[in-house]
Amino acid sequence: MYRLIALGVVVLGFLIFPIVAPHAEYELDVLFLMFLYGAMATSWNVLGGFTGQVSFGHAAFLGIGAYATALLAAAGWPLWATFPAGGLLAALYSLLIGPPAFRLRGPYFAIATIGIGEATRLIALNWSSLTGGASGVTLSAAPPVTVQYYVSLGICAATVGAAAWIKRSRFGYALAAVRSDPDAAETLGVNTTIAKTQALFISAFMLGVAGGAYAMHYLYVSPDSTFGFSTSISLVIMPIIGGIGTIFGPLLGAAIFTALREQLEANPFLAKYSLDLSVFGLLLCGIVLFEPRGLLGIFDRLIRRGASRTRKDSVRE
Amino acid sequence: MQDTLATLISALLAAGLYATMSYGLALIYGVLKVINLANAGVLMLGAYVTWWMWDAFHVDPLLAPIVVLPLFFLFGIVLERVAVRRVIEQEPIVSLLLLFGVWLILQNIAYAIWTGDTRSIETPFIESTFKLGGIQLAWPRVYVFVAGALTLAVLQLFLTKTQFGRAIRAVSQDREAARLAGIDVERIYAVAFGIGIALSAFAGSLLSLLFPFGPDFGQALQLKSFCIVVLGGLDSFVGVAFGAILLSLAEAFGLRYMAASLQNLISFVLLVVVLIAFPKGIAGIIRSLRRV
Repeated sequence: MYRLIALGVVVLGFLIFPIVAPHAEYELDVLFLMFLYGAMATSWNVLGGFTGQVSFGHAAFLGIGAYATALLAAAGWPLWATFPAGGLLAALYSLLIGPPAFRLRGPYFAIATIGIGEATRLIALNWSSLTGGASGVTLSAAPPVTVQYYVSLGICAATVGAAAWIKRSRFGYALAAVRSDPDAAETLGVNTTIAKTQALFISAFMLGVAGGAYAMHYLYVSPDSTFGFSTSISLVIMPIIGGIGTIFGPLLGAAIFTALREQLEANPFLAKYSLDLSVFGLLLCGIVLFEPRGLLGIFDRLIRRGASRTRKDSVRE
Repeated sequence: MQDTLATLISALLAAGLYATMSYGLALIYGVLKVINLANAGVLMLGAYVTWWMWDAFHVDPLLAPIVVLPLFFLFGIVLERVAVRRVIEQEPIVSLLLLFGVWLILQNIAYAIWTGDTRSIETPFIESTFKLGGIQLAWPRVYVFVAGALTLAVLQLFLTKTQFGRAIRAVSQDREAARLAGIDVERIYAVAFGIGIALSAFAGSLLSLLFPFGPDFGQALQLKSFCIVVLGGLDSFVGVAFGAILLSLAEAFGLRYMAASLQNLISFVLLVVVLIAFPKGIAGIIRSLRRV
C-alpha cells in the first residue's frame, strides 16, 4: 500500500514538474531521456527478464520504430500516428525472426541475436532507396520540449504498466515457467515457442514505439545510431544492472545509465578515457558474480540488514 | 579462370587468419563449456600490444608474439581464477554476460591508453608483394596463413601427443570422468582458458599486420569466429580450420554478386542459418551421414 502511494507521489511529481519549472530545459531533457531509456529497458526486460531469452540484437526493433516515425512523418503523417505504426512494424519484423531464432536455446540464442541485429543494421545501411543509407533520415521539426517530455513519460508509464500487468498475468507465469525450466513448462502444457514468440512480439512493439520517441527527439536517424551494436548493448546493460526480471530494476538501470551518460558529457576526465564502458563492464561483472538480482537486490539486502539491526536494537532495549 | 583462381587463393589465405582467431574460442568452449564473448576484446588488445611495441620500441611486429603469447596466457589464467571459475557451473548465459562485461572493460582499456584513433603498422615486409603465375599476392597474407596452419599443427600435436594435452581432451569430453581418473580439473580449466586467450591475442597480433584497427575493432570478427566455430562443430580444431575455409570461400565468392559493404552479412546469415539448421555443425552432418 505504502509502495503504491509512494509511486503515485513520484508520478504526480513528474506530471507537474514542467508546470512548476517550465524553463528547466536541461532537466526536462535529462528526464525525457530517462523515461525513454526506461521504456526501452522495460521492453527488453519482457523478453530478456521475464522469459529469460537474452537478446543482443534488440536495437533492430528500436531502429525500425525510429525509421518508421522519421519516414512516415516525412510522408505527411501526423506524428502521433507514426508511433503505433512503428511499433506494429517492429512487432511484424519480430514474427519474421522469432520462430527460427527460438529454435536455439540460452547462449546460442544470444549469439544468433548478435547476428540478427548486425544483419538488420547492414540491411538498413544498404537499402538506400528507403533508408537514405549511411546519411540517414532527417525530420523537419520537433514538438516543444514540454510536449516531448509528456510523450516520453506517457510511453514509459504505458510500457511499465503493461509489463507489470504481464508479469502478474497467467501469460506472465507461463513466461516465468519458460525461463526457469523450458522442458517442465512444456510438460505443463505451455507451448514454449509460442510463449517466447508472443513475448518477443510485445517487446518489439514496445521498443518500436520508443523508437518513434527517439526519432522525434533527435530529429535524425541513421543506421549506426539506432541499429548500432552499442544500442543493443545498452539495452542489455540497463535491466541487468538495475535488476533483471523485475518491474523497477530496468527503470533504475535506465536512470543510472542516463545519469552516467550526462556525467560523461559534462566531465572531461570521464570523457577522455571513455570510462563509461569500464563502469558498465565492472557493474555487469560484479552483478553477475555477486548479486544476480542487480542493484535492486543490493538495496533489498541493505534494507533487510538495516531492518534486522533495528530489530536487534529493540530486543536489546 | 585466372579470376576464379585469384579469388580462390585469396580466400584460402584469409582462412588462415580466420582459423587462428577461432581456435581460442573453440578450445575454451570445448574445455570449460563457456562461450568467450570477450574474444573480440582480446583480439583487439593483442593487435594493440603488437602495434605499441612497434610504435614505441621499434620491435618488428613479426617478433611481437614472443611477448604477446606469454602475456595473454597469464592474463587468461588470472581472469579464469578471479572470475570465470565462479560461473562455470552456472547457467551458460551467466558466463556469457560476465565475459561480455570483460569485453567492455577491455575496450575501455584500449580507449584509455591508446585513444579511439585508428592504428596501423607499416613496415617494408607488410607492404611487400610478389607475383605467382600472374596473380599478385601480399607477403603478410602468406605469412599469416602459414602461421595459422602451424598453430593448428602445434595444437594437434600438443593435444594428442602430450600428457597435458590428453588431460585437456579428457576434461572436454567428460569432466566428471576426468576428475575420477585423477586429473586436476580446476588446473586444466585455468590452463586451457589461458591458452585460449593467448591464441586469440596471437590472432590479434597477426591481424594487425593486415588491417588498420581501433578499440571497436573486432565486433564483426567476433561474429565471424562464432560462425566458424559453429560451422566446425565446436569440438575439433581441424573442424575449425574447415569452418574458416568455408566461411572464407563463401565470403570471397559471395562478394562477386553483392556490394562490398554487405560482406559481413554473409557470415551473420551463415551463422544464424547453420545454428538453426545444423546445430552440430558441418562435422555433425558428416557424422550423421556416416552413420547412415
